[in-house]
Amino acid sequence: MRTGISELASKLRKREISAVELTKTYIDAIEKLNPTLNAYVHLTFDTALKAAEKADQMLKEGDAPLLCGIPMALKDNICTDGLLTTCCSKILEGFKPYYDATVWEKLKAQGAVLMGKTNMDEFAMGSTSETSCYGAPLNPINTAYVTGGSSGGSAAVVCADLAVYSLGSDTGGSIRQPASFCGVIGLKPTYGAVSRYGLIAYGSSLDQIGPVTSSVKDAAIVFDAIKGGDKRDQTSVDYDYGDSLAERLDRDIKGMRIGVAEEFFDGINPEIKYKIMEAIALFEKNGAIIENIRLPALKIALPVYYIIACAEASSNLGRYDGIRYGYRASSYTSIEDMIVKTRSEGFGDEVKRRIMLGTYVLSSGYYDAYYKKACLIREEINREFDAVFEKCDALIAPTAPNTAFPLNHKVTSPVEIYLSDICTVPVNIAGIPAISIPCGKDSKGLPIGMQIIGKKFDEATVLQMAYFYEQNSGIDVGVYEGGARA
Amino acid sequence: MAVSKTEIEKLAKLAKLSFSDEELERFTAEFDAIIAFADTINQSIEGGTEQIRSIGARMVPFETLRPDEVVPSLPSDKILSNVEGYNGFFGLERSKK
Amino acid sequence: MNYEIVCGIETHVELATKTKIFCGCTTEFGGEPNTHCCPVCTGQPGSLPILNQKVVEYAIKAGLALNCKINTKSHMDRKNYVYPDLPKAYQISQYDEPLCENGYIELDSGKRIGITRIHIEEDAGKLIHEKGYTYIDYNRSGVPLIEIVSEPDISSAEEAREYAEKLQLIMRYIGVSDCKMQEGSMRCDVNLSLRKPGDPNFGVRTETKNINSLSFIQKAVMAEAERQADILDAGGTIVQQTMRYDEKTDSVTPMRDKENSDDYRYFPDPDILGFCIDEEKVEEIRASLPELPFDKFKRYINVLGLSEATAKQLIKYKKVAEFFEGAIAEGASVKNAANLIVGTIFSNMDTEEEKELFAIRISAAQFAALVKLADEKKINIGVAQSTLQKMLESGKPVEEFIKPEDLVGISDEELESLCKEAIDANQKVVADIRNGKDKAINMLFGYVMKKTGGKADIRKVEAMLRKFIGQ
Ligand SMILES: [Zn+2]
Repeated sequence: MRTGISELASKLRKREISAVELTKTYIDAIEKLNPTLNAYVHLTFDTALKAAEKADQMLKEGDAPLLCGIPMALKDNICTDGLLTTCCSKILEGFKPYYDATVWEKLKAQGAVLMGKTNMDEFAMGSTSETSCYGAPLNPINTAYVTGGSSGGSAAVVCADLAVYSLGSDTGGSIRQPASFCGVIGLKPTYGAVSRYGLIAYGSSLDQIGPVTSSVKDAAIVFDAIKGGDKRDQTSVDYDYGDSLAERLDRDIKGMRIGVAEEFFDGINPEIKYKIMEAIALFEKNGAIIENIRLPALKIALPVYYIIACAEASSNLGRYDGIRYGYRASSYTSIEDMIVKTRSEGFGDEVKRRIMLGTYVLSSGYYDAYYKKACLIREEINREFDAVFEKCDALIAPTAPNTAFPLNHKVTSPVEIYLSDICTVPVNIAGIPAISIPCGKDSKGLPIGMQIIGKKFDEATVLQMAYFYEQNSGIDVGVYEGGARA
Repeated sequence: MAVSKTEIEKLAKLAKLSFSDEELERFTAEFDAIIAFADTINQSIEGGTEQIRSIGARMVPFETLRPDEVVPSLPSDKILSNVEGYNGFFGLERSKK
Repeated sequence: MNYEIVCGIETHVELATKTKIFCGCTTEFGGEPNTHCCPVCTGQPGSLPILNQKVVEYAIKAGLALNCKINTKSHMDRKNYVYPDLPKAYQISQYDEPLCENGYIELDSGKRIGITRIHIEEDAGKLIHEKGYTYIDYNRSGVPLIEIVSEPDISSAEEAREYAEKLQLIMRYIGVSDCKMQEGSMRCDVNLSLRKPGDPNFGVRTETKNINSLSFIQKAVMAEAERQADILDAGGTIVQQTMRYDEKTDSVTPMRDKENSDDYRYFPDPDILGFCIDEEKVEEIRASLPELPFDKFKRYINVLGLSEATAKQLIKYKKVAEFFEGAIAEGASVKNAANLIVGTIFSNMDTEEEKELFAIRISAAQFAALVKLADEKKINIGVAQSTLQKMLESGKPVEEFIKPEDLVGISDEELESLCKEAIDANQKVVADIRNGKDKAINMLFGYVMKKTGGKADIRKVEAMLRKFIGQ
């Protein structure tokens, strides 16, 4: 098992290693592996070294927070003052925000050392990270495969140990699915648990920032550090989680009620289904009560998700007009022409498809049949989850119906790719928390992810169950050959 | 529900996007599949007539809204830091070759 | 051919809050370009709007003053359209759940013009087109507005003007906006169609946008009604389009469409939660409303006994009414105070703007001190007027101009003896008067006034003279 954040933190405190030394180890590993993996798209070594020096100072003064001096990474859609933030889109070419996302402000204050910004699907739209304008990141487990997406780079840097942890964003599975494909841990918190201020919006009512880590404890530590209400994000909630979640991971699962909905297993690769069933059996063996439950509305969760996410995206992405930041078309005949050219040249195909779908479902004559209907079904899905959580403490489901796709996997229609989000989108629709943790590998040696889904603001149960599984299954992330801690 | 090329063009105009003829052909075909997929929501569950609001039923009381207190604005060189400025203005040529 | 005008007005009123609707930037007018800005009001990626409570409060205030029903549950929507002055490519507004609905404004005739709805929204930035370049200043971007939509109840140019005038006055009274049309803090869009009298159906309507003065509203309605009538008379049809009123030519012409589409794809803004206002809060806001112009008008007539014409002039400007009431509170008489304001003070103010601003150099208390001298007949009205004029010019109090010895006045006995003296000294004049040459009495007035240095009450002098002459 890899050294976790707390062990690193204690080494830093004991001065067994300095933050600068640790950072340099990561720089070396990144320089060695990143040219192949393409997991980072912007490197920030200069500021990282300065941050590490500052962290060493904080450590020397004593009383430094747990994350002080720990090298980490941010997805390229999280705003960083003075540092490139491009959503891996040509349209945000050269964009350097002059403000920090709240999550980054919090981590920076704790002495975090940012190594760089990670690769992702353009504007977080995709499930393979291949729509990035910088080319796809490669899966460190097997570089012939994709990392998943959209937070593919965030999963890859943790998998290959090019960062101790990273932050991703999850709109329809974008943290959990790449975590599953890369065999690491990804937590999507409750909608509102973490501030979205400074997260470049895709689907505002679904987007949520969360950690990607190599252990459940690390996920809890990072979540502890980034959660909390923010007066700059009205949708955030100042929920009282009590003491640190990282300190409360050990919990007896005896008597815990775990729901298993057959809808989550429809059309799932049998190898994956088998591994998840094995995991469920482990919980049962240790005294958990398995409840078979139904969530009928899940059958239409996928189109509901795509309609809502794309409707919001079509509006959120209207602002990229070449006037205030980013790419601007070089020749044009009028301002209107400049805007159309900038957008047509600056956005990739998948983004255009989603903007078009979003425009369609909001346009007059279609609003009621698509957007409004989707919102009403969303309410129905919420009611079904509420009912289920009356009977269960948490649900177990696969994270994805398949393991990682081969790179450049040809599809007949974009819808084929959309279908791979089937297990993750219901969680975003309902705004509830879920974690993906590795639960074995398929016959090709590709990681399989298991999803543990909880009630709103019950990250504690989700993390405790994941921790139990991690401690008892014998499956952990392990050391990565060539990574910084190898 | 099949979507015609004219309709795609109309949507493109609203979305401020343009497509070449070849792109338009491809897009129309793809869009048909996407709309057919979106249409599956109409196979089930009757829609209600409730008021649609953001983030479902979560509402906040008036008392929690932001108090009207001035926060200093940012200097205009920050505001303009991602673009060529013109004496403090955003700006651009109306046409460019 | 005779047509009936069917007209509705949409009015945008800028709210006088300290900060913008979704960020803490100041709403102050002017300033160097892009200096009242932040990530939120310039639509930077990742920024999020936070609704200003005062905006909601002011909109409710406006709604209550316009007799609206207040929706205790409301939310914000996005209105999507792309234009360089709109940094997010959507305007945050309200679509299907406006804060206020179903109100009215009553015209002098007693006719009520319905208010369909009032909603809150954000203003856009400012574009400047110059020599092949377009420049953008986002200082106004995010300034809060309310849009007040009337029913198509207006049926003449005069009614259109009166509606806008009343609306402006009410907004100023309740203090939610200064409604300066020339600065753009109040702008009107006029929707207008014609129909044959008795026809229950509406004709095709046009929208004349961004009218920035009250008189232009009246003129625009007139011009557009004439334009439409000419087309209809010639057998043509009206095209539904957006128009512009040109004050130089006093004509209405089609505007080049800034957007070829009006499919705004409204949907609830996912960044802003719906909000609720409890009934008690609404009542609290209602209780905080000042006396509204129409109520004040009625009180001035019925309670204070002013004439309709005077009352109308006094209530027309909030500061004037405040000044007037301030003087009354200091003990000035209603009649003299009102007459001196309308007569003397207004004669120093040529424009509506000056009266609205009412920037005078004396306080209501100083004014009252002067009025009281006239009330107590210590000075006559003529002296009061000329003294007031001097006070207005210098900003100095009444004591500077009227010496205590001036104030002693003339006792009735003194005046009687002076009148007798005048009669004795002018026997020929007295004879003329007795013979019917009534105007000759002016000679006697002149005599008395000269002796008293102009301080005598002329009516009293006349009464005494006539008594002694025996008329
Ligand atoms: Zn601002």
